[in-house]
Amino acid sequence: MKEIFHSVSLIEERCIGCTKCLMNCPVEAIRIKNGKAVIYNEKCIDCGECIRVCPYGAHVSKGNSLNDTEGYKIKVLIPSVTLYPQFGQEINPEEINKALLSLGFDEVFDITFACDVKAEILKKEITKVEKPAISTLCPSIIRLIEKDFPSLNDHIVKMLTPIEISAALIREKYCKMGYKENEIGIFFLTPCPSWITKIKELKYNEKIGFDGAIAISEVYPKLLKVLNKTSNKTYRKISKTGLLWSFSGGQSQAIGIDNFLAVDGIKNVIKLFNDVEKGKIKDVDYIEAYACTRGCLGGLFLIENPFNAERIAKKIIANGEFSYNVELHDEFQSKFAREDILKVNLKFADDFESAVKMIKNMNKIINMLPGTDCGLCGSPSCRAFAEDVVKGLANLNDCKFIKNGGE
Amino acid sequence: MQELLSVKYDVESGDFIRGGEASSSIKKLLQQLGIKADIIKRICVACYEAEMNIVIHSYGGYIEAKIFNNKVEIIAKDRGPGIENIDLAMKEGYSTAPEYAREMGFGGGMGLPNMKKSCDEFYIDSKMGEYTEVRMVVYF
Repeated sequence: MKEIFHSVSLIEERCIGCTKCLMNCPVEAIRIKNGKAVIYNEKCIDCGECIRVCPYGAHVSKGNSLNDTEGYKIKVLIPSVTLYPQFGQEINPEEINKALLSLGFDEVFDITFACDVKAEILKKEITKVEKPAISTLCPSIIRLIEKDFPSLNDHIVKMLTPIEISAALIREKYCKMGYKENEIGIFFLTPCPSWITKIKELKYNEKIGFDGAIAISEVYPKLLKVLNKTSNKTYRKISKTGLLWSFSGGQSQAIGIDNFLAVDGIKNVIKLFNDVEKGKIKDVDYIEAYACTRGCLGGLFLIENPFNAERIAKKIIANGEFSYNVELHDEFQSKFAREDILKVNLKFADDFESAVKMIKNMNKIINMLPGTDCGLCGSPSCRAFAEDVVKGLANLNDCKFIKNGGE
Repeated sequence: MQELLSVKYDVESGDFIRGGEASSSIKKLLQQLGIKADIIKRICVACYEAEMNIVIHSYGGYIEAKIFNNKVEIIAKDRGPGIENIDLAMKEGYSTAPEYAREMGFGGGMGLPNMKKSCDEFYIDSKMGEYTEVRMVVYF
C-alpha cells in the first residue's frame, strides 16, 4: 500500500486547544487531545480548512523554499496557471514568466501547453468512464473520493493532471538531452497545500518525479520586485485556453462541453458526491470539483481575492491571441494515464463480526450522549465521539454530559 | 440465518429536503462494516429510490436495513394509497408521480425497475388504501 503523506501540520506551541478547527474540518479529521489539536492522518484530505480558520496560526503547510532548488544542474519551474491573475491588475503572463526565470531557474515551463494537451485527451477520456465523469485536478478531491466515496472510482477520469503532464514532459526532454535523473530539479509553484502533499507523494515516481513544491506566497514578494507591470497586454506565446484551467468552470470551457457541473468549496463537493452516489445526478457529462471556493484561484497560498482574480484571469484570457491546438496522438493516452485510486478502508475491524459488535456498541453510546455536539470531549460531534470510543481513541468519561453517568 | 444488526429510519411524506438521509446513513454503516464499494453503490441507489418513493407517493413510512453475515436486507414500508397494479408499476417509464415531483426530476417511472435491477432479490407487496412494502436483498 502507498504511504499517506500530509503537508498540513500543527505548531503545538501556538495551539491553545480552541475548537475552531475541530468544528470546521469537513472530514472530521481533527481531535483535541490534552489541550492541543491532533490531525488524524488517515482522515485528513489536505484541504487546508483548518489553516483558514485557525486564529492563532497553529495549522501550517510548509512547502519548499527557493534555496531547495540549489544543487541541480537544470532547474525547471512549473508555475500554476493561478499565478497570472495575482497582481491586482491585468499583466502579460509572458512578463510574469520572465520574472520567474530571473529568480534563478533555467526554464519556466509553460503549463498552458500541458493544459491544452490535457483538454484534448479529456475530450475522449470523459466518454470512457461512467457518467458523470469526475475531474482529477484537485488532489484533495481525489483523496476525498478514496476515503469517503470509493464507489465513485468508476467516474474518475483516468488521466494525469496538467501539472503531472508538465513534469513528465520536462523529465523526458532533459533525459533525452543527456542529463541524469538526479541532475534535473523540477519544482511546482503551487497555489495550495493539497499540491504540496501530492508532490511529496510523486517524489519517487519514475515517470513524473517532482523534486519539490514552492508556495506562490513564498516567491510573491521577490516576484513583485522584478516584475515589469507596464508591458504590452497582448501575448502570443501562452495559451489562452490553457489559462482557463485556473477557475471553477474553466476546464469544461476548455474542453468545450456545456453539460457540466462546476462545484467548489469542499462542503458543496461532499454534498454533490452524496447525490451522485445515490444516482440523483443524471444526464451530466462532467463534474469539475474543487476543495477551494471558486476553484484553484481560491487556493490558500494565493494573494488576490479569488473573485477579483477570476475577473482578472478572464481579462487576460480575452486578450490572448494564441492556443496550442494540440493534435492528439494515441501515445498521449497511455503516456499520461493515471494510476487507479487508493481505496482507503473505513471499516471498523478486519472481521465482520467484530465490526458488527463495535457498531452495536457505538449505537448504544450514541443514545447515552446529549447530541449537542459541544466539542468539549475533543471530538467534533457526539457521533464521532462514540466512534472514537469504540475504536479505543477516546474514553467515555471524556464526555461531561453523559446520561446516567455512563451506566 | 441470524440477523446481526438493524437500523431503522423514519421517512416523512413530502420532505424533499431531508429525503435521502436514511440512504446516506445506511451507506456509512455499510462502509464501517467493510462492505465492498461496488456493493455499497448498488444498495445506495436502491435505497435512495425507495426512500424517495415514500417521500413522493405515501403519507410517510420507514426504511430499515437488516444486516446478516452474507447479505443486507432493505425494507421500505409506507402508509399510503398503495399500488393498484404492481405489474404495471414495474414497467419502465410508467409513473403515477404528481406533476410537481416530475418537474423536480423525480417520477420518471424508473424507480421500481431501477431498484429491482440494483439488487439480487426484490419483493413488493401492497394493499390499496393501506400500504406498500418493498423488500430488497443484496448479497455481499
